[in-house]
Amino acid sequence: MQSAARLVLLLNATAQRDEAAFRELYDATRAKLFGVVLRILRRQDLADDVIQDVYVRIWASAAQFDPVRASPITWMATIARNRAIDVIRRRKDVELDDEAAAENIAAELVDPLAGRERREDLQRLLDCLGQLEPERRALIRAAYLDGLSREQLAARASVPVNTVKTWLRRSLLQVRECLGL
Amino acid sequence: MILNDDQIALAAEYVLGTLDLVERQEAERLIASDPDFADLVQRWTQRLGELNALVPGVEPPATTWAAIRARIAMLGADEAAKSGGQVIRLSRRLRLWQGASAALGAVAAALILVIATQALRPDLLPGALRPPAPAMPGQFVAVLQRDPAAPAFIMSVDIEKRMFAVRRVVPEPEPGKSYELWLVSDRFDRPRSLGVIGDDPYMVSERLAAFDPRIINNATYAVTIEPQGGSPTGAATGPVVYSGRLIDAQPDRTR
Repeated sequence: MQSAARLVLLLNATAQRDEAAFRELYDATRAKLFGVVLRILRRQDLADDVIQDVYVRIWASAAQFDPVRASPITWMATIARNRAIDVIRRRKDVELDDEAAAENIAAELVDPLAGRERREDLQRLLDCLGQLEPERRALIRAAYLDGLSREQLAARASVPVNTVKTWLRRSLLQVRECLGL
Repeated sequence: MILNDDQIALAAEYVLGTLDLVERQEAERLIASDPDFADLVQRWTQRLGELNALVPGVEPPATTWAAIRARIAMLGADEAAKSGGQVIRLSRRLRLWQGASAALGAVAAALILVIATQALRPDLLPGALRPPAPAMPGQFVAVLQRDPAAPAFIMSVDIEKRMFAVRRVVPEPEPGKSYELWLVSDRFDRPRSLGVIGDDPYMVSERLAAFDPRIINNATYAVTIEPQGGSPTGAATGPVVYSGRLIDAQPDRTR
């Protein structure tokens, strides 16, 4: 992964329709974004389509990226994640039976090249999530990383949807306080 | 607006992706209408986005880049067709105008008066409004604008000498960009460049020398935003931001 400063430059050049910069941006971020998309969609064929959409969107909206408000990789990953969730919510035929794949990601598995400041921000978030009860922490991670809906979360935790709703709300307010957002 | 716990949780769940459709639309409405809410959504996006570092990278198929490249190339062709088409549509629409002065707002009309005075009696104006040397060619003016009450460029044309002068009223272009002036005439299949304008607040040009006076008189003048130094291709690549037609600055004079 390139440094955040380099990614900002590449996004700016992409906004100016610089194809060489866009290629470099793609090479620097493709594995991360494809990982994000594939984890939510769980199917290679769906992920193949979505990742193309994602980069076309990044190309088309690069001028809207604001380095003051977001880090470049988070901005791009958010586009990828939102697109993947749009697709998964419209489909009913993607099974959630491969929980093993979803569970084998350890908290320690932090992108080693992501930069110290980033690791500190992540550590702070993980610390705040760590203050939640384990099942609620798992809920937030599954919602964010696996793109699960409330109904899917409820099924996984074997609780009613309204319980998931209440847990999410309380957990998020607690995390907000912990982060000082 | 001070956000309550419901809205704070709504912003967080919007980013988390767990809202149902109705709640999602409510959040989107708030993002559009409440800057504090939009700001909170942005902060949640950044904070929860840290979790993406936990997702292992996976290489996409080798064919993906070629597919993306083909799709953005099509997008580019669409954009170019749109901006070129815009100039042509503008030309058609403006041909229908009967008497451009009727369409000018009071501000623009006052500015025309200033321009006309600059051309005829510069000594009557306060120093700041007097044209710098060389004297501005007079006779015809065009107010190039998008909003009838807000002129962006004032162009004056001396048809006999085939010279024009342009005064920039809007701020200079952003870094890396230039304003480029185009002559749009139904006698030509595409707009003709009159060069980059607006780098200086006031400039005089002879770029009209190649055109017939009747074309100069009946043309529409349009400004696009181009890469610094002007369009690299000779055709307008950016959207039309301002436009206008010539009107007689000396209405008493017989043509």
